[in-house]
Amino acid sequence: MRTTCPYCGVGCQVEPTVREGRIVQVLAPDIPPNHGALCVKGRFGLDFPFSEKRLLYPMVREDRHQPFRRVSWEEALDYTAHKLLAVLKRRGPEAMAVFPSAKTTNEEVYLAQKLARALLGTNHVDHCSRLCHSSSTAALSRSLGGASMTNPLEDIGKTDLFLVVGSNTTETHPVIGAMIKKRVRQGAKLLVVDPRYTGMAEAATLWLRPRPGTDLFLFNAMARFILGEGLWDQSYVEERTEGFAEWQASLEPYTLEEAERITGVEREKIALAARLYATTERAGAYWAMGLTQHTKGTATVQALVNLALLTGKVGKEGAGLNPLRGQNNVQGAGDMGGLPDVFPGYLKVSDETARKRFEALWGVGLNPEPGLRMTEVFEAIPQVEAIYLIGEDPVTSEPYQDHLKAKLEALPFLVIQDILENETTPFAHVVLPAASFLEKEGTFTNTDRRVQRVRKILEPPGEAKPDWWILQELGKRLAQALGRPWALYPGPEAIWEEIRQAVPEMMGGITYRRLEGEGVRWPCPQEDHPGEAVLFRERFNTPSGKARFIPVDFTPPVETPSPEYPLVLSTGRVLYHWHGGTLSRNSQLKEAYPELKVEVNPKDAERLGIQDGEIVQVVGRRGRIRARAWVTDRTPEGVVYAPFHFAEAPANRLTLNALDPISRIPEYKVSAVRLEKLD
Amino acid sequence: MRLKVNGRQVEAKEGTLLLDLVEVPTLCHHHHTETKGLCRLCLVEVNGRLLPACATQAQEGMEVRTDTEDLKALRRTLLEWLALSTDLSQAPALLELLEAHQGQPQRWGSLPVTRREREPIRDNPFFLRDYAKCVNCRRCVDACGDGIMGVYALTLEDRGLLAHPTTPLDRPLPGTPCVFCGNCVQVCPTGALRPLSMEV
Ligand code: SF4
Ligand code: SF4
Ligand code: SF4
Ligand code: FES
Repeated sequence: MRTTCPYCGVGCQVEPTVREGRIVQVLAPDIPPNHGALCVKGRFGLDFPFSEKRLLYPMVREDRHQPFRRVSWEEALDYTAHKLLAVLKRRGPEAMAVFPSAKTTNEEVYLAQKLARALLGTNHVDHCSRLCHSSSTAALSRSLGGASMTNPLEDIGKTDLFLVVGSNTTETHPVIGAMIKKRVRQGAKLLVVDPRYTGMAEAATLWLRPRPGTDLFLFNAMARFILGEGLWDQSYVEERTEGFAEWQASLEPYTLEEAERITGVEREKIALAARLYATTERAGAYWAMGLTQHTKGTATVQALVNLALLTGKVGKEGAGLNPLRGQNNVQGAGDMGGLPDVFPGYLKVSDETARKRFEALWGVGLNPEPGLRMTEVFEAIPQVEAIYLIGEDPVTSEPYQDHLKAKLEALPFLVIQDILENETTPFAHVVLPAASFLEKEGTFTNTDRRVQRVRKILEPPGEAKPDWWILQELGKRLAQALGRPWALYPGPEAIWEEIRQAVPEMMGGITYRRLEGEGVRWPCPQEDHPGEAVLFRERFNTPSGKARFIPVDFTPPVETPSPEYPLVLSTGRVLYHWHGGTLSRNSQLKEAYPELKVEVNPKDAERLGIQDGEIVQVVGRRGRIRARAWVTDRTPEGVVYAPFHFAEAPANRLTLNALDPISRIPEYKVSAVRLEKLD
Repeated sequence: MRLKVNGRQVEAKEGTLLLDLVEVPTLCHHHHTETKGLCRLCLVEVNGRLLPACATQAQEGMEVRTDTEDLKALRRTLLEWLALSTDLSQAPALLELLEAHQGQPQRWGSLPVTRREREPIRDNPFFLRDYAKCVNCRRCVDACGDGIMGVYALTLEDRGLLAHPTTPLDRPLPGTPCVFCGNCVQVCPTGALRPLSMEV
């Protein structure tokens, strides 16, 4: 039976064969988005639902120093409702936070945020894309009025130039990486901007290697050069944008000479890249966390947006601005209102018309104040007293791990709803065992806005239940006590029907029946609408219909190398693992990549006397971890690279929680460290 | 455009493959990997010449025959040789074809060299390379190379009965650029490449 891969935002369609309680093989059907191709995770990594670490029974304890007690669902749900209500009564809605997950279905995210908003009255709702693409969301929304990929993945086949920045695409979105490489073999050009020599850099026509955290300078310099050479799209700028003059003036300091000094990329290369991008009609930009995870993440994405607007690349086939979303349902979790400032459909909670729509639909009054973002909620402990965490492992994924652990220790009430035990489970008061993607129905929305089905292939093990069921049951109890309405749904399709009603302009035309075949892309207002492929062909989603240039200035990363910590640590992922490793390291994938390796440039290794394969310590201001050194020139001199998947050697013990002022994303990509030999 | 298939008039669009107009068995052809023209199982007669239907585009006025006695005999022989030289036990589609063509591999006696003696190679945590079952269709090589991945961890070596796909310099897969996407496994028609999870 066909379902959707639970790992990355590509949303590959998979057909797992399950026999005698295990997956024997996984094939890919011949439909979009992957057309029969998969990567190692979808092909060989879907067996985590069979892991011994599955949470099988509801568990409860009064405080974190007692052992967990196995209880019935009734008791677990009653207890959770009772505790949440007590906090609500004593401290009000501002003391509670609900975090849905970009790994759960649209229906489940919708229910989770509905529970938070309609029953608990809080807008402290957020999910893990805070930590990956919140900068993209912020920059794109401010400029274009929408925050998704502007172009469909099919456009890769029509693109003549790819500008891939800060994305290790062949490892993090492998099927897209392969699609881009194939198009390049057919003659398209590939410009790669990345400090690391990734698989994309290897395939590139032109590879620029800026110092970590300097892309913004590079983009501004490219824009200034394009203006100087008269290579910009004047009529596009006049007809479709605003704020040009002010922005243009802000580019004055960004000369090629300065850019070379700051970024370390030769000026000729910058000029060539700018010329190629500006003069290729079908040029699409693709990016990921290399751009977003900085204290100036939003500004950096903004600089790229400005560049695309200057050259008229948005609203056209084979071009556009295309953030590659990380988790399988990052797009959907945002669409469903899993964010502190918006309802489903990105309607602002502060906007009265929007609020009225949801007040009418849900039959309750709603809180007009935008909530705190995830990173801020953790900081707000213990003012925030109760957190309901669904499918997230902040101990592994948040920066500055020791600090976060101290915060969680001070948290009076933590509910964890998840499929597997992880690093955060020991901090819980209540554990609610959830069903995995193989064990429930629903939809995920992939990176190019395609809503796709998730199908139940197996029964959940033990007493595990689908997240939507748990949310619905908990909601029922809260609603009864609060005297508020709370709809009950026979299943995920009924929840989806409510979503269609809630945001008809976006999802109105998408029915489960239509999703039997291929997924359908939003916006799709009517059932006979095919779903929009290229966004903003005619107008942008801003009040004026025009896209906005927004000036942005370069600032250096917060933590710069010092004599004591002379190296820059950059964190990220590897092909074989996913996020905190909770899923991938409980699957067959663990054998292919069993332990943490830090990439060290041969020159640094030689200076420090470090041999390839040797165990070293990576030491930063906030902690230290052990890792095996992988001496490779994939990583530039002065930089070490550590994937963050390994709980026993968590890279996030080293990262700092300096946040972007707009998106509140942490600066995962730059912190200062030194390497120590073990003896 | 018009052409004749087995004496019947047929309409076709520019660029149509003969394969889309006729019913013939295929083995190497695969539209994702763009593999074609290797196994000769899909041969048809075009104006008296033998051409692979999977690699030939329809043209105005062509006279195509798919069911001559010669073609039937050829297909039968090809299938018999496959069955003789290769372990088809995990290729049900090919076994069915063999039966449908009334193949009798035994009639050729035994072969001096066959692939059947090859030992399965288990060099990675995900899948097995059991070349005793390989029919050299090349799909895996193309899936890994130009067709899908652009990784080129597989190549074809040697000729004739010795021909076989392998890694560059016969290295273990983890020592190649292989990314274990398993796309080669998915397109392999004979079970020569198969997930380890299928064993036991
Ligand atoms: S590319 Fe992403 S969605 Fe596709 S198989 Fe790999 S992990 Fe799954
Ligand atoms: S699994 Fe390895 S050999 Fe097979 S197609 Fe993928 S990269 Fe190539
Ligand atoms: S291993 Fe499979 S796909 Fe590759 S040539 Fe042999 S039969 Fe064909
Ligand atoms: S299928 Fe046409 S030659 Fe193999």
